[in-house]
Amino acid sequence: MDLTAGGARAVSVARSERTGLVPAGTVLAGSVISLIGLTWDIQWHGDVGPDTFFTMPHLFLYSGSAISGLASLVVVLMTTAARRAGRPVDARVGGRAINVFGKVFAAPAGYLVTGTGAAMFLLYGLWDQWWHGLYGFDAVIDSPPHIGLLLSITLSIIGTVMVFAAAREHRWGTVGVVGSLGVLIAFSTVTVLGLQQIDVDGLDVVSVGIALLSVLLVSAGAGFWARPGGAVRVAAALAVIQAITWWFSPWAAEAYAGAVGLPMRDYIDGVPAMPSMMPMALLPIAAVLEAVYLLSRRGWSAGRVSVLAGAIGGLLVGASMPIQNAIVYGADRMPWAVVFATAAAGAVAGLLGGFAGWRFGGMLGLLAPAKGDNAHA
Amino acid sequence: MRKTLLALVAAIGLLFATTPAANAYEPVNIVHTERVQVGPYGMTVGFSTWPLRAMQSLDFTFIPDDGIAGKSGTLAFVNPETGRLGRPQPLAKHPRKLEVWGLDIRALQTQGSWTFRFEIEGPAGKGTGELRDLAVLEQPGPPMAVSWSISLIPLIVLAVLIAVAWRRTKSRLRGNGLPATV
Repeated sequence: MDLTAGGARAVSVARSERTGLVPAGTVLAGSVISLIGLTWDIQWHGDVGPDTFFTMPHLFLYSGSAISGLASLVVVLMTTAARRAGRPVDARVGGRAINVFGKVFAAPAGYLVTGTGAAMFLLYGLWDQWWHGLYGFDAVIDSPPHIGLLLSITLSIIGTVMVFAAAREHRWGTVGVVGSLGVLIAFSTVTVLGLQQIDVDGLDVVSVGIALLSVLLVSAGAGFWARPGGAVRVAAALAVIQAITWWFSPWAAEAYAGAVGLPMRDYIDGVPAMPSMMPMALLPIAAVLEAVYLLSRRGWSAGRVSVLAGAIGGLLVGASMPIQNAIVYGADRMPWAVVFATAAAGAVAGLLGGFAGWRFGGMLGLLAPAKGDNAHA
Repeated sequence: MRKTLLALVAAIGLLFATTPAANAYEPVNIVHTERVQVGPYGMTVGFSTWPLRAMQSLDFTFIPDDGIAGKSGTLAFVNPETGRLGRPQPLAKHPRKLEVWGLDIRALQTQGSWTFRFEIEGPAGKGTGELRDLAVLEQPGPPMAVSWSISLIPLIVLAVLIAVAWRRTKSRLRGNGLPATV
């Protein structure tokens, strides 16, 4: 930090730290509340059963999006008001302001994405209501409205990552990027269930999707961090989320069943449903990625190294997921043919993930004003 | 801040306190029944919706003539689309009608002629039986391709966003962006 720039600079940083952290923390809290609601809801259907619209897990899911959406709306309105009044707009709060509807609104990039995701969530919520009216509460996670809802929340969380990336000058900004990327991986393990619609014999398509997204997001963390440790940090954030939800979701389903007087199902396999979909081997795999990144010290370009690292990561995630599923659900024998096929497809997906992820990391880095800039766009 | 937190905790507490009343789950209403002979056991299969339509969830009940006490069993479906017998699942108590076996919120996903295959073990030994030719009519609502197209709009929004950002940052990230190691 340039302390020689005088009092004005110091005041500006302190003020933006204060004003930026509150809305960033609020959209992250919204994302986390949605994640809690989702893991609880899935466990509820597996362990207890009946669904109505007004369950506690649904309340968490909906209020999470509402919190993220309202926080984004407030920031957009404040940014718009500031620009109209001719006050400077701090790009560390959510990124540079983008004109929306001509110049009616000025919306910081990150909050625009979060707010758009939250608004779409509400529309898909209405559609989901209509769907349940027609088909009943079928508790099918991969129905079209559910996938629309999950994709909307995904958009909101991507906005959250962007909001923190814009504040990378602050420590909380970089920590927030890592944390929200972890939330995004955890969340997307359910969204990829939409791929169940694609039926390929002998291939675990959902695990290929998990390989793609986890490698992509871990590489994005590495590309953003731009020094050793970014990939491992994101994987560690996922491991923490997995550990907490592993304990939380079965407990919450049982506690809620007790509160509403419903029995647990006769046969419960005891497996926390959503946490067991998250790739358990991601932390050591991320360490392998970090080792491959070291090749760039030998003069290889970082982007190319990330493609190679991504392919290796995709191969390992692709191989580990069917093995993880067989162990967690106590399969009689290991499905080796599926393991090899999924690993091969995972390597191809990982190649793409490594390529795009590294670039996304760089793009996230550009959301923040350059250091030394007075941060006013 | 503390006040806000307290208010939030109070609101959640209130919700928990009032949910039992709000969640008075509806009783299981059987509007149609079919008979199946599962080895030595006669059984009534009940449906809360009739006729059945694809993708519409309903309550199924499976009631052996002299009750479920002392018995266990499994149920597997033959999906008309694939013709394959699915993995058998244990017959379990219906969550809202605990004296009988049943399935809640279950939908049969495809139209056609379904088969339910039962296996029951009890005092009179082990038996198997099938409920065949269970007609499931076409799904209501819009075609699935339309529904999926609507649902993938956020993905399209995301793709457009990425394409724009990718193009705009191209020059600044030339040379593969930031170094991997410092």
